[in-house]
Amino acid sequence: MSGALRSFDGVKRMNITNLLRVLFNSLNTGSVYALAALGIVLIFRTSRTTNFAQGSIGTLNAYVAGYLFMTFGWSIWVVALASMATAFVTGILIDVFVIRPAAKVNPISKQIITLGLIIVIVGAIPFIFGVDTYQLSRFFTTGAYTVAGATLRHNTIFVVLLSLFLMSAIFWFIQYTKWGLAIRVTASDETTSRLMGVPTKTVTMLSWATAAMLGTLAALIIAPQGSVNPNFMVDVQVNAFFAGVLGGFQTFYGAVIGAYIIAFARNFTNFYISDIWADVIVYSSILVFLYLKPFGLFGKKPIRKV
Amino acid sequence: MNSPKKPILELNKVTMRFGGLVAVDNLSFTVHEKEIVGLIGPNGAGKTTVFNCATQFYDDYEGDIRFYTEAGDSVDLRSKKVTEIAPLGISRTFQNIELVQDLSILDNVLIGAHYKFETGVFRHIFKTKKARDEEQVWKARAEEILKFMNIAHLKHFYVAGQPYGILKKIEIARAMMMNPRLIILDEPAAGLTDYETDELEKLVYRIRDEYNISILLIEHDMGFVMNICDRVCAINFGKYIAMDTPKNIQEHPEVKEAYLGSEA
Amino acid sequence: MKKCMECMKTRWNRFVALLKRHPPLQYVIFGGMLAIMGLGPYFGIIPVSTAMFGALITVMIWTVAALGINLLLGYGGLISLATAGFMGVGALGVGIFMTEYGWPFELAALMTLLISGALGLLIGIFSLKVSGIYLAIGTLFVGEILRRIFTNVPIFGGERINIGEITFLGRFTIDRNLPFQDFATGASQYERYWLYLILTVLMVLTMIVVHNIVKSSTGRAFMAMSRSENAAQSMGISIIKYRLIAFIVATMLATLGGIMYAIYFQNAPTEAWTLILSLMIIGAVVVGGLKSIFGTFLGAVIIHLVPNLYLRPLFGDVRSLFTGVLIIVVILFYPRGVVFVVTDLKKLWGKLKKRLQGRKETAHDEQS
Ligand SMILES: Nc1ncnc2c1ncn2[C@@H]1O[C@H](COP(=O)(O)OP(=O)(O)OP(=O)(O)O)[C@@H](O)[C@H]1O
Ligand SMILES: [Mg+2]
Repeated sequence: MSGALRSFDGVKRMNITNLLRVLFNSLNTGSVYALAALGIVLIFRTSRTTNFAQGSIGTLNAYVAGYLFMTFGWSIWVVALASMATAFVTGILIDVFVIRPAAKVNPISKQIITLGLIIVIVGAIPFIFGVDTYQLSRFFTTGAYTVAGATLRHNTIFVVLLSLFLMSAIFWFIQYTKWGLAIRVTASDETTSRLMGVPTKTVTMLSWATAAMLGTLAALIIAPQGSVNPNFMVDVQVNAFFAGVLGGFQTFYGAVIGAYIIAFARNFTNFYISDIWADVIVYSSILVFLYLKPFGLFGKKPIRKV
Repeated sequence: MNSPKKPILELNKVTMRFGGLVAVDNLSFTVHEKEIVGLIGPNGAGKTTVFNCATQFYDDYEGDIRFYTEAGDSVDLRSKKVTEIAPLGISRTFQNIELVQDLSILDNVLIGAHYKFETGVFRHIFKTKKARDEEQVWKARAEEILKFMNIAHLKHFYVAGQPYGILKKIEIARAMMMNPRLIILDEPAAGLTDYETDELEKLVYRIRDEYNISILLIEHDMGFVMNICDRVCAINFGKYIAMDTPKNIQEHPEVKEAYLGSEA
Repeated sequence: MKKCMECMKTRWNRFVALLKRHPPLQYVIFGGMLAIMGLGPYFGIIPVSTAMFGALITVMIWTVAALGINLLLGYGGLISLATAGFMGVGALGVGIFMTEYGWPFELAALMTLLISGALGLLIGIFSLKVSGIYLAIGTLFVGEILRRIFTNVPIFGGERINIGEITFLGRFTIDRNLPFQDFATGASQYERYWLYLILTVLMVLTMIVVHNIVKSSTGRAFMAMSRSENAAQSMGISIIKYRLIAFIVATMLATLGGIMYAIYFQNAPTEAWTLILSLMIIGAVVVGGLKSIFGTFLGAVIIHLVPNLYLRPLFGDVRSLFTGVLIIVVILFYPRGVVFVVTDLKKLWGKLKKRLQGRKETAHDEQS
């Protein structure tokens, strides 16, 4: 099957139904990328590192959900809450045992530590959950609207609304509360903040916990499209990162906008141009973009000190 | 210094802004060949910024900075990239020591000769005769300079863990490797003991006299500056106050007020 | 007897001096030892099993790719997450040029290396604008793009490209699929050993090349550029130039690793070149020892050979877990890498000895 040829045949018309299909699909995946990316940015702001293990943390806790779901037949809602709780704990454990001791490690080694976490989690999963994969159901298994011939699942609406709600809540929290202020000052200068009495350790720990929950939520949303296996979040992880660089790590909204852009661009090229070359085209364009604007759409260049 | 003075570095109405802050403000002064010139001013006066403009770390300054080659041609430094400053014959040290911690002292000094190496990565991969010979030549020179700086016995030790006085010396040795005509020293005596400062004074003289190198230096240690500089330029808030012999500068009322006054 | 000890000692000292004068010799001797080990499965005398033989093959492949990463990371302070992608370029590139175009092996390998060098150049150019922590993500993109090309694009034809017997220098054809021993006659068949030997030679050459680079003014420029960009530039070191060199060499070595894979296994899989493989290679460098050539080999042994040969029978497949934990522990507690255990122990021993002697001397003093 040659996707490249198919698009030249003109079978895939640029009509409203197809466009809406692509759009609805992108809203779903975009929300997933955005949730994961938000966690990555949160950690970047408080721990000054790019958390490559964001997806793996989500995977680990999605396994918890899958295990409970399939072994005890609990409702997806209960299972989701339970895995949020374990995610919270996972985040805290990682911060306390891995990230905090690495405070003085140079930035690249710190990145390598989070890369190491990926392999730790991927390697640990078979020992904890066995080699079987798990299935998770959607939050709303039935129900859909039809808009101009394209189906829009209730689940998609729920997912998008939930994501938007959570993101707004986080923005609000960071912008207008005392803790949010603590996060912002920790992000700009940890040492000074600590000296000024900001509980930077707690702030960092809670950021990891929150990020882990965001990653897990992303995992729960994407899981029904396939199965829960050690690598099912790799795609999300990668794209969440790309969303971060596209939007720039300095702002929270940048990553979210970047996430929806990437989701739409991938679906669009996949559908209209070529399913073989879609990712190659999208990723290469982002690389070129990054070369032209190294700090993303909304980022600023840091000043050099001699 | 009574022969007709040839300029080597000339700043003409240099202004450097960081956002709203004017770090260097319409500053002009000249350094002559074989001269030791001090640049003084209170903390944050813009001294390091002057150096960074001259060595093109910042290239968005206003005004111009000129360097005079041996033949007497004037070069607008702005037309040069930061990496092209060394080949012109200007080398510098840094206020916050910038050495490779996990490399031996000898290797650190060899870095100073980097642009003198004619062999490239291909010759290095195959370790051709030319590459080996060249390495030997520069190693010999590095050892000679280390001997000059009195730290030859330490050459195989790592930089990490060396005392401050040694680090400063390594930086100066590295700056001398490329046979420069002008060395710019950013606070060479900061953090040195009295004994080390005296030793440095003698070394700076010898660098000028034996290697024919002009020297421009920033220093807060007034005793040091007054002892070794031929002329001193005082600035405050990036602005020129006065440039004269150390003795006259010391007695200059504005300098006293701005600098010495602020200390007293 | 004592005399003999003395002469052994002077001989040993002379040997050490020789090694100091010609450092590449140590890698040649090391290669010689590996070559002897490779004979294990053929003769019972040396305790090297076929499993060990196979593990050493992978260790050598990884070492070559990891040496590139060591140059990049240890010396140049740069990171690349595209290593596996470029190993894939090596294996699949050779595969395509040989099977689709019918080129001889040497030409195919050369062309693949040139292509990956050009790609490395592009990444280097990219790294000039996008540095620091963004670089890792940028190279992650490159790795992903390569991986998707391998798995999606039809020319790579599904799971693997079968290369089959490779003819070296247009004369020597080696069929890897022959067993170590002919079952009928019991005679040894050295086919795989020749391939093993080729890999050993390539690895030793890589070690020497990397050694020569890091001990030259190019190597010093790498260090200066990563440790102190400002000083480097004011000494006339062009950051652009050395970043490009670092990336080109690193990608070409990763590709050489992939070519070595193709040489030994005589096929090129399309799905093996994942981020996890890149991480394993970085793991080998970090765990073994940044800025150490033997350390890189040691790292590959620790991360590939040890878990596969010794841990798997005891605990199951702990490869990932073991590697991940080691990476974190080593960075946190022993950042110079495991290879420095020996030097550190020696130092400790020296100190202990001194202290003991000191005690003896003071004891003497007290007596007198
Ligand atoms: N890269 C930069 N960005 C913004 N402001 C800067 C930068 N570099 C220096 N400044 C500001 O410019 C002013 C002059 O700084 P500079 O480092 O030149 O002072 P200095 O005279 O060398 O002081 P010191 O004696 O403390 O070394 C200071 O107010 C400093 O904060
Ligand atoms: Mg200064």
